[in-house]
Amino acid sequence: MPLRHFAKWALIAPALALLLLLFITPIGWFIAESLAELGSASEVWLEAKAVLGSRAILGAILNTNGIALTVTLMVLAIGYPLSYALSRARGLAFSLVLICVVIPYFTSVIVRTYAWMVILGRNGLINQVLLGLGLAREPADLLYNRTGVIIGMTYVLLPYMVLTLYAAMKAVDPRLLQAAEGMGAGPLTVFAKVFLPLTLHGVTAGALIVFILALGFFITPALMGGPGDVMMAMLIEREIELSQNWPVAALMTIVLLAITLLLYAVYARFADRTEEGFAR
Amino acid sequence: MRTEHRLLLPSRRRFLRLGGAALAAPFVITGPARAAGQVIVRTPGGAYDDIMRRHVYDPFTQETGITVMPVAATVAKLLAMFKANNVELDLIDTGDGPLVTLGRMGALDPVDYGSWKWTRPEDVGAEYRSETRVANFVYATVLAYNKESFPDGKHPKGWAEFWDAEKFPGPRMLADMATSAPDLEFALIADGVPRDQIYPLDVDRALKSLSRIRPQIRKFWDTGALSAQMLSDKEVVLGSIWNGRLQTLIDKGAPLGFDWTGNMIQVQALGVFKGSPNKANAQRLIDFMMQPAVQAKYSKDLQYGPTNQKAFDMLPADQVERMPGSPRSRETGFMRNVEWWESNRDKVNRAWSRWILG
Amino acid sequence: MREEGFAGVRLERVSKAYGPETVVREISLAIPQGEFFTLLGPSGSGKTTTLSMIAGFTLPSQGSIHIDGRDATRAPPRARGLGMVFQNYAIFPHLDVFGNVAFPLTVRKVPKAEVARRVAEALAMVKLTGLEKRFARQLSGGQQQRVALARAIVGQPRVVLMDEPLGALDKNLRYHMQVEIKEISRRLGMTVVYVTHDQEEALTMSDRIAIMDRGRIAQMGPPREVYERPESAFVAKFLGEANLIRARRRDGALRGAGAARFEVAADRPGLAEGQVFVRPEKVRLLPEGAAPAANQVAGTVRHTAFLGNVVRYEVTLPEGEVMLCDATNASGTVLRQPGEPVGLAWNAADALLLEG
Repeated sequence: MPLRHFAKWALIAPALALLLLLFITPIGWFIAESLAELGSASEVWLEAKAVLGSRAILGAILNTNGIALTVTLMVLAIGYPLSYALSRARGLAFSLVLICVVIPYFTSVIVRTYAWMVILGRNGLINQVLLGLGLAREPADLLYNRTGVIIGMTYVLLPYMVLTLYAAMKAVDPRLLQAAEGMGAGPLTVFAKVFLPLTLHGVTAGALIVFILALGFFITPALMGGPGDVMMAMLIEREIELSQNWPVAALMTIVLLAITLLLYAVYARFADRTEEGFAR
Repeated sequence: MRTEHRLLLPSRRRFLRLGGAALAAPFVITGPARAAGQVIVRTPGGAYDDIMRRHVYDPFTQETGITVMPVAATVAKLLAMFKANNVELDLIDTGDGPLVTLGRMGALDPVDYGSWKWTRPEDVGAEYRSETRVANFVYATVLAYNKESFPDGKHPKGWAEFWDAEKFPGPRMLADMATSAPDLEFALIADGVPRDQIYPLDVDRALKSLSRIRPQIRKFWDTGALSAQMLSDKEVVLGSIWNGRLQTLIDKGAPLGFDWTGNMIQVQALGVFKGSPNKANAQRLIDFMMQPAVQAKYSKDLQYGPTNQKAFDMLPADQVERMPGSPRSRETGFMRNVEWWESNRDKVNRAWSRWILG
Repeated sequence: MREEGFAGVRLERVSKAYGPETVVREISLAIPQGEFFTLLGPSGSGKTTTLSMIAGFTLPSQGSIHIDGRDATRAPPRARGLGMVFQNYAIFPHLDVFGNVAFPLTVRKVPKAEVARRVAEALAMVKLTGLEKRFARQLSGGQQQRVALARAIVGQPRVVLMDEPLGALDKNLRYHMQVEIKEISRRLGMTVVYVTHDQEEALTMSDRIAIMDRGRIAQMGPPREVYERPESAFVAKFLGEANLIRARRRDGALRGAGAARFEVAADRPGLAEGQVFVRPEKVRLLPEGAAPAANQVAGTVRHTAFLGNVVRYEVTLPEGEVMLCDATNASGTVLRQPGEPVGLAWNAADALLLEG
């Protein structure tokens, strides 16, 4: 069916062109230009070895992946029940929950982060309540450390998970759940054997989006993290802004991109397999 | 300060290739100004422009008939103009560091001290004058403390005491690499290096010294706003901070104080663009801006210190007291060596990353 | 709590209201074990709500439901031990055929070997052996239907509920499945509660039919009885084509338009007027010049429809009423053309007097 084939490509073409123009070309140009500055392939190789061998960069890669993973799990843990409630809610309740979820989109990262400082600081809201109720003797350190980074990023990334999961959950035919119940399944079994498997593609898609976005974070960890909470993007930014060392920045970008693409490849394989079973 | 700095920093190497029509696009200038004589100045913009217009540009126009036009431009744009032989901008008013970079690339004309009519060059502190740039105001990084934790007189005086967590307990902050230069100078002073022997910086020794205080460091601040926030929220009780940011908090009634001991003086400076069309007017504007009376007025509004020493005589004593670059600040302080930083930032950045992630 | 006697499904004065709107009104019925029972009615008549209450998805507002002698009024669906076939099948898209059919067993923690055996049996019964690894989207509509059926019977329930299970199939396939479902239910001795709006399907499959109208059971009985002895014009019309001729009692006899005289089985003398009911296939075309008699009318052919095995005539009576007559397409039949005058006649035993 060549016509159908053609139509499919015609639909994808504008998006593809935009992506090529605004994303792939600049990144390709940036990497090529930057590495060209080094002069020769052997120079590039030497620099690459230095980058990959650097303790700082390995540390940042570990940090980045550790933080991204923790944030993804947190977002999932909070987002799944929230999305479920959202997918069942109607009218005013629905609007309220949705607004609460989406509001982070409407404020700048800086404003959001400063709001967190008011809440999480040593003399912030939470610590005042904890101390006031006698639940803590010392103010808890919730800011300027890993905890702060996780809280801040979880909040920022939650909407991506919730909206993805919401779509997946909304697509579940409620009659399937009823059918399972009718066939003798209790609520937990209905969840584990029907609802969860039917929303699993939403979970993987949401987790992937959140993880990949988290990999590239630098404002939130810079503002809410402690001295050691350095992520890859922060190092890349400094190489460009402060040192103007484009080759090193380019090599770090390649590393980050490679991690991202690798994850995507894993996801694509996994998604392919699960999708096979779905009628959609 | 950081954002401004950032705009100006990017890509020394890139200009060479970028070249280019787009970046060298001319400023559109309309009206009779061109005929009457004018000078185009690169400025940080915003509130700064308003203060300078009131105290410098407008009086200058009244005196000479020369119109002053402030514009925004990145270093990349300035360099592109220079490369394309299409310089349409006369005077550059920016941080010391970027001017050092531009000067090294040969993009600046010498400052014509000999032609000055309004100002005596020797009234401007010698450390503020160089061949291709002259400083127009001074700010300082100082040691701030919370008065509730450390009543006046019982606060740490100088960086050695700042480093003494037993005598002065409590969370602290210092500048991050992301500000473009972390507080390595203070680390060396704390480690016993005399003020006049700080440069060239011994980076390893500075980081080793930082390691001693690191457990007490709640955060390395990367923006002026964050440093102010952390002090006013009492997230830290001690820290390095730019004097202007701190003064704003104090004026609002925050229980904060600062100590001049070991304050680091930094400067904003002017440079004449090589090949500029209104070179002579630019030199005259510099001359005008350097006058003690003019500097006294804008320094007062900016909360920063003048570079013409005679300007201090025209300011109230309490103002002088808290101004960076004042005799009191210079007595115990030192000037940041921008030349050193411009040459070594790359190296420090690597060392910093290794240290912070190690 | 086990009650005396009744195995099967029993509803006692069951009502369901949503706010001010009552959709099921005081329904009582008793379906003995092994019966194929159909709830038939137009949409909105309350048949699906009734089934849903039996299943346990909907709680009755009033009344009680008993399954196999137990009060199941408030029991959750999973505790009722029913098999179910859903409208649109509700095949789980994430499970293959085996997984779907095994579902009622696995959730009840039946041992693996037994699951395999019983799924194989169920699949054999619906003729799907060999398709265990397929997913729903790889199956035809009829195959999906069979999966749903296998899944409903695999747990060997005593009662199976079916909600318009054949609605999505084309006519041919539907007939095949009707036969098959009926056959399987008989073989397994299951009680089936079947919901449909298709009267032919109801007549074909059921042991008994309850015809529902606006939340009530209008009539309940074996197919032939409800078809041939409707108790109301609604039932008469819903179960197929029906002639309903206006009649009035004069001088002790029922008379219609054009001085026709009607006799009916089991006359109801109390009714001064009503409608005489007779199915089109019970109406004969009179030979030319037949003598006037009871249950005879004269009219003009308005339309002739040749349906193959049957010829359907629409005949206009003198006062404008229209009667249908289905004549068998026997050998040597001569078709009457529109405009031809004809006489129609039927036996009193095939006619009823209905209210309205």
